[in-house]
Amino acid sequence: MNQTNFTACPECDLLLNPAAPVVGDKAHCPRCGYLLQRPRKQSIERTFALSIAGLILMFPANLMPLVGIKMLGGAKDGTLWSGVVALFEEHLWGVAVLVFLSSILFPLLNIILSLLISAHLYFNQPNRHLAHWMRWLQHMDEWAMLEVYMLGIIVACVKLSATSELKFGFGLYAFVALLIVTGMLASSLDKVLFWRQIGYLRKKK
Amino acid sequence: MKSKKTALAQGFIRCHDCGCLSKQADNNSHCPLCGGRLHPRLPNSFQRTAALLLSAFCLYIPANVFPIMTVTRLGVGEPHTIIGGIMALIHGNMVPIAILVLVASILVPLLKLLGISLLLLNVHYRWQAHAKKWTILYRIIAFVGRWSMLDIFMISILVSLVDMGGMAQVIAGPAATAFAAVVVLTMLAAKNFDPRLIWDNQR
Repeated sequence: MNQTNFTACPECDLLLNPAAPVVGDKAHCPRCGYLLQRPRKQSIERTFALSIAGLILMFPANLMPLVGIKMLGGAKDGTLWSGVVALFEEHLWGVAVLVFLSSILFPLLNIILSLLISAHLYFNQPNRHLAHWMRWLQHMDEWAMLEVYMLGIIVACVKLSATSELKFGFGLYAFVALLIVTGMLASSLDKVLFWRQIGYLRKKK
Repeated sequence: MKSKKTALAQGFIRCHDCGCLSKQADNNSHCPLCGGRLHPRLPNSFQRTAALLLSAFCLYIPANVFPIMTVTRLGVGEPHTIIGGIMALIHGNMVPIAILVLVASILVPLLKLLGISLLLLNVHYRWQAHAKKWTILYRIIAFVGRWSMLDIFMISILVSLVDMGGMAQVIAGPAATAFAAVVVLTMLAAKNFDPRLIWDNQR
């Protein structure tokens, strides 16, 4: 076949012998310093567990109010979705779609894809879509911006705190928990290992 | 002796998606491991990055000139530009938040626009020095890009929360769309830039 035992650095294309780092080690490219692989303890199991936890947390974080406001006699609750709707009503469709994608849809798809892939790897089930899912997951990674949204919430709250009374809803706690879970998910998912396992399953079939 | 040649120069292509390395041949346009299309480098990397960067530069002007939001209180209010919003924060004695917004919505987009321009110049004029430092610049730009969305998310929260009819209202302005477009375009430009082009030029 055309396959070889060498690898190459994705950022400087240096031809390398494959590194076999153990848990706790990091493999860097000797020329440009790119982090090639950072193996994690029980990567597949942890990804599986964390994506289930993330999927559960997705519901309260999206459905329950994040922040409530009391101002000049009026009161209002804000959810992730109400921000999108408000932008839409002001005819900023482009911004509304962008906010919807980066704060709701992509984080959700990210978790669902991680769940699907890690479940298949955990139970050793070959599936012809695995490579597609993994590819989508990699492309979507950058566009899920929950942590940036969190910072947006903080800045908005500080701005409002001078003139109005704020109340933090249960949704915000779920959102923070979701943030922690997705952060752990991203660091437990070892891409090199995942692709290798997908390759094995493909050959086994 | 350690070979300093790139994989491509020795006839190997690395799959962009799964990282599998395969021997270059006329007939293998698909990766043997994951089945994705193989390209030696990101296709038309330089041209795509340049086009996206140019659009981002053009939109950066309306994003800073037009008002990004209007805060109305008891019927009176004036539109704020991005810089105006930061000034308002400083006058309201919220300096740390003002610095945060300054970094996220002015410095980061500017740094990205200039940084990607420099990377393109580097590739075009085949600068030889400090290839590793240029790669690190690319990494910083790719990492930092998403944080500019801070302003957009903040506006979305303010618009939905502060909506008390005539009493108090926040209305997003036309600069929000332009600013969001700048963020997305610079992110796409960074994604389309292939850092291996820097290393290909090294003699």
